[in-house]
Amino acid sequence: MITSKDTVEEALRKAKAKKVYLEGNFVKILSKTLPADVKEYVEECKARDKNARRKRLDVTKQVQAQNKELEEAATINKALVIELQNEKDEAEKLRDEAVEDLDLMQKRTQFELIGLIVKVALIVIVMVGITTTILYTTALMMEKDTTLLGNAWSNLFGILLTNSFSIIGTIMGVKYATKDD
Amino acid sequence: MIDSILLVDDEDLFHLVFEDACSLLDMTLSLQALDSSDEADKLFKKWFVEGPIDERPECVFVDLNIIGSSFDGIELIRKINTDYGNGVVIGIISSSDDNQEIDKAKGVGAQFWIIKSDEIEPRLEDFVKDYEGYKNKENPFKVYK
Repeated sequence: MITSKDTVEEALRKAKAKKVYLEGNFVKILSKTLPADVKEYVEECKARDKNARRKRLDVTKQVQAQNKELEEAATINKALVIELQNEKDEAEKLRDEAVEDLDLMQKRTQFELIGLIVKVALIVIVMVGITTTILYTTALMMEKDTTLLGNAWSNLFGILLTNSFSIIGTIMGVKYATKDD
Repeated sequence: MIDSILLVDDEDLFHLVFEDACSLLDMTLSLQALDSSDEADKLFKKWFVEGPIDERPECVFVDLNIIGSSFDGIELIRKINTDYGNGVVIGIISSSDDNQEIDKAKGVGAQFWIIKSDEIEPRLEDFVKDYEGYKNKENPFKVYK
């Protein structure tokens, strides 16, 4: 306890005169044997200090509670951001898969169309070949003049062969153009 | 009134809460607050090597999980009690009430466990009432809920 009258009492009187109030634990160690007016002043200081402490404690507690709420909100936000990112990644993956499927479907349709064209073309070629061959064979068997028919038959076969290669070339070209990468 | 208190807690805001609560309850005139167990460890090591000096606190409150420290509050209590000569009233002040952790703290020589909450003052008031018993090593371990 501080008891020196020369120092404390004088200091406290000056503080009282200037309406300066002491704060903190210092007030608690002042002697209770001070003169009545100084004692009254010290008691006032104590009461004010206690009041200020109480207010500060309440405010600090509020800030602490708000901090906790903010921390919790930040944690929830972080989790939501991660969840959204995951969902975005998943959506992008699904979109890529859908685009890939669509591309594949388009290619398949193209190939099916090409296959149909090839089949029809081959059937036409074979049918024309067969028809011409039957005509030529019939003419030979009936001992008719086959000069014109023979030339026509060989010309026709040449043309059909050329067309066949042309079709095969076209198919190969389409396949190459629609190839991945 | 407790001669001097040391608080080890990573939350700076709690330092203010604890300081004001101690002041309102007239618990102590000397309060030091640290935010890491490493710092507290260094101080206790120093006090242990240099012998009992005035700076050594009479009572220590340690948080359970001290973020940013090499070890938790229970390990700090173990070090103080076994490596640095004991001699202080020491316990945990934490928001946790995990029974396993409470048993661990008891096992390393903690004398009390105070649960942090919005209303810390009533618990500290009860603690102050029991303090002499802790100082004289007469009181058993107690949880202030």
